[in-house]
Amino acid sequence: MTVPLSSCWTAVVNGEEKHLQIAQTTRLVDVLRTNLNLTGTKVSCEVGRCGACMVLMDGEPVNSCLVMAYQCVGSEITTIEGLHGEKEDELHPIQQAFLEEGGFQCGYCTPGMVISTKALLDRYPQPSQEQIETGLCGNLCRCTGYGGILRAVRTAGETCLNSSLLTTVVKKVNDQ
Amino acid sequence: MLLNRDNSGNRWHLRPDGVGKVTGQLQYLTDMTLPDMIHGRVLRSSYPYARILSIDITGAEAMEGIFAVLTFKDVPGLNRFGIATPDQPVFCEDVVRYVGDAIAAVAADSPERAALAMESIKVEYEEWTPLDSTEAALAPGAPELHEHGPGNVLHRTEIKRGSVDEGFAACEYIVSETYYTPRQMHAYMETEGGLFVPDESGRLHVYAATQHGYKDRMQLSRIIGCPEEDIRVVSSPIGGSFGGKDELNVQPYGALLALRCGRPVKMHNSRKESVRAGLKRHPMKIEMQTGISREGMIQAHRVRITADTGAYATLGAPVLNFCTEHCLGPYSIPHVDVEGISVYTNNGVSGEFRGFGGNQAIFAMEGQMDRLAEMMNMDPWEFRRRNMREKTDPGPLNQRILVTDGLSQVWEAMDRSELWQKRKHQNSPEVLALPPWIKRGVGAAIAMHGAGLGYGIPDPAGGRLSLNAEGKIEVAFSYEEFGQGLIATLEMMLCDLFQCSTSDLSIIIGDTDRVPHSGSSTASRSTTMAWMALQRLQTPFRSKILSAASALSGIPADELITGIGGVWWQGQIAPEVTANDTKINSRFVVSYVDLAKHGETEDWIFDTQFEYPTTPDNVVGGHYLYTYAAVAAEVEVNTLTGEAKLLDTRHVVAAGPVINPMGFIGQIEGGSVMALGFTLTEDAVMQDSHYITSNLDTYLIPTIRDIHTNLEIEAIEDLPEGDSFGPRGIGEIGSVALAPAITAAIHQATGVWVNRLPVPRDQLIKPLDVPLQKGVSSS
Repeated sequence: MTVPLSSCWTAVVNGEEKHLQIAQTTRLVDVLRTNLNLTGTKVSCEVGRCGACMVLMDGEPVNSCLVMAYQCVGSEITTIEGLHGEKEDELHPIQQAFLEEGGFQCGYCTPGMVISTKALLDRYPQPSQEQIETGLCGNLCRCTGYGGILRAVRTAGETCLNSSLLTTVVKKVNDQ
Repeated sequence: MLLNRDNSGNRWHLRPDGVGKVTGQLQYLTDMTLPDMIHGRVLRSSYPYARILSIDITGAEAMEGIFAVLTFKDVPGLNRFGIATPDQPVFCEDVVRYVGDAIAAVAADSPERAALAMESIKVEYEEWTPLDSTEAALAPGAPELHEHGPGNVLHRTEIKRGSVDEGFAACEYIVSETYYTPRQMHAYMETEGGLFVPDESGRLHVYAATQHGYKDRMQLSRIIGCPEEDIRVVSSPIGGSFGGKDELNVQPYGALLALRCGRPVKMHNSRKESVRAGLKRHPMKIEMQTGISREGMIQAHRVRITADTGAYATLGAPVLNFCTEHCLGPYSIPHVDVEGISVYTNNGVSGEFRGFGGNQAIFAMEGQMDRLAEMMNMDPWEFRRRNMREKTDPGPLNQRILVTDGLSQVWEAMDRSELWQKRKHQNSPEVLALPPWIKRGVGAAIAMHGAGLGYGIPDPAGGRLSLNAEGKIEVAFSYEEFGQGLIATLEMMLCDLFQCSTSDLSIIIGDTDRVPHSGSSTASRSTTMAWMALQRLQTPFRSKILSAASALSGIPADELITGIGGVWWQGQIAPEVTANDTKINSRFVVSYVDLAKHGETEDWIFDTQFEYPTTPDNVVGGHYLYTYAAVAAEVEVNTLTGEAKLLDTRHVVAAGPVINPMGFIGQIEGGSVMALGFTLTEDAVMQDSHYITSNLDTYLIPTIRDIHTNLEIEAIEDLPEGDSFGPRGIGEIGSVALAPAITAAIHQATGVWVNRLPVPRDQLIKPLDVPLQKGVSSS
């Protein structure tokens, strides 16, 4: 079936090509949570301050509450559900580090925090304190006091260092 | 013991709810959906104080995709809610008292349509001048916001002992200061919401966060006008609460809409709506006058507390009780004159918040202690020691309290800490090398903090332990998991008690259909209550298991033990062999699964009911169990910008045995950073009773950049011999004493006595008193 271009939204979400009939002004966070039932991406402040809705768009961290559907047509989106270890049923080393260091409590900020950490370690495999603070200052956590999160990021940095999981593979729909 | 992962050894326990959280697979109640669900929204007041002249919903009702529009006329039962004092309207009938007041609720087939429908509801108001401060509300002739007056006073408290006038007359030094604390926001990351599902049998299933599912159920049954049993409340997991979700919020609207429409209704507050309608910490003004003798002994203490409780009562009265109790600190004071008043205004509603009024009181009292110590040129820590209560002294309200060494232990641990000793080395090369506009200081504070709801307030506890049909050791409590790590703590307690593995366990919380009534997850009480319940239940439960295993195997019960997977024979086992050693696999007697097949299900269920321990003395609100804490803080102040940065912090906490180190650290670190926000940046500013700071871009909670460079936690685990109350809760103690430590450090750094939180930056900006370089003009 041919779908009119103006109403068809297409992107690669967690490695799978998705086609949706949605208004182009739908927020990406709603596309993910409502249309694709990917509720790991959380909604909290809705003004791009808290980072609970952080996802990777072509490898870059973005607040999905600030991205409209038309702005990410053809992009590769990675949500928390798209992260995993060497095998699909294993935790990504970042997730494992958050788990082991107690880098979460209520867990509501955690998916966004993990995604921002992924973006941080992709860019700086051995981040300095300054780089960690800069990389994660767009993610608010009200429970942990950030201590466990900092320890998790450092641990993840060490375990990820030689891992093939570090770099996001950016695939554009157009390239396929 | 310095508490960290390394020192915790094999007690470092991964949370059972952890994988779901780090993978995003865990469904919060606001993530739930059903195929035929519709969306609910609440229309809130346009004004903080007004008479409603008319409400016209006809336009909204006629719109496409609208399933229901409800107002006060549609509340079948009591049109009020409130845990302690049900005075908050579900829907306002005639008067609105704050900007969060609900006028109507809409259910529509999409959130967008619900929003459109709300815009078409026409409400006519007669706008009145809001009482935007406690002064305005207490002024003669001020309109009364509630009929149950007199005036706009919700509650008064009083402690009078001795004669303060005589006490002050004999004093050598007297400090008078007025302290102000902010309207702090809970800022839980998950805003209020959930799913409300009526079923075919007429029952309503409520999936929405609360800290006390049974209390929600009771309140909803009053509103709906149905038996409590017709409602099931599922209330965990929760994306943070800190006291802020203890009162009903979206539940009345979701419930009424779902019942009216006969379909599942989803509610999820936007952040702005959460700010507008939700609870905050009580802003308080605390006037204190404290006098000491020539020897530095406190003689007299006069306190006047004024709390802005906002438009409705919620827990304003108990919060004021708690503040009143804690504004004497852990000190012996012969002459005391304390009066507290909680005042209705048209500001946002203040209610329960981590620390429960202790934070405000301790900030003020510890501020007095530092000022007095300086006045008599005495070390502030030594000054505190001189005035601290003896361990057998009565509590702040002259009530009997449990005797422990906690207070002196935290004092001593802090006294010998490296961080506190740093106070004496302000001329170190490191400090002298700083630019002249950077100043450093070290401060410390001490606190005792009551747990439980206090004397005279029903505070039921209990629990259920059973071997379920699947052969799991099952515990059920009406507590909630809002992030604090309760489930992990329960797992560890059970593994310790029965030497079993986590795979042998089933932990049920947060579901009124599946758990007994064992009270609320508030007031730092859950850990203690769960521990006490398990102490009561373990003996009958174990006896039942072992006697059943004995009957099956023929081995005497006293030679059997519970262990991993089931019951084991312990006869003749060499001391070095443990139950989980594979060498003794042959000693396995019977699995829990096989045991569960014997007898009736009820035979395997054990229940207990009891009350949270409270003082035997007739002092309303008085506590019996206290936790103790000392906090030291090193602060760096930039006197050009007025910015204060917390460099180093040490929390010493005496709360009995640490069951779950990861959870303990998380609660103290998290509480500390929440207190950092309370001290330096957080204030939900209101102007004319409207919120100015309506989202997290202007209401500034700490980020990872703003936190302490270093934070250490020392746990003192001693309890008196034979103590039957076990580990004390630590959900609040990390948040109550940091503010005065920071302001004391700021004083050492800059000479400024701060009396207002969040610390006003302009007070810390100082002109540079240094010679200018050649060629640089000062103009």
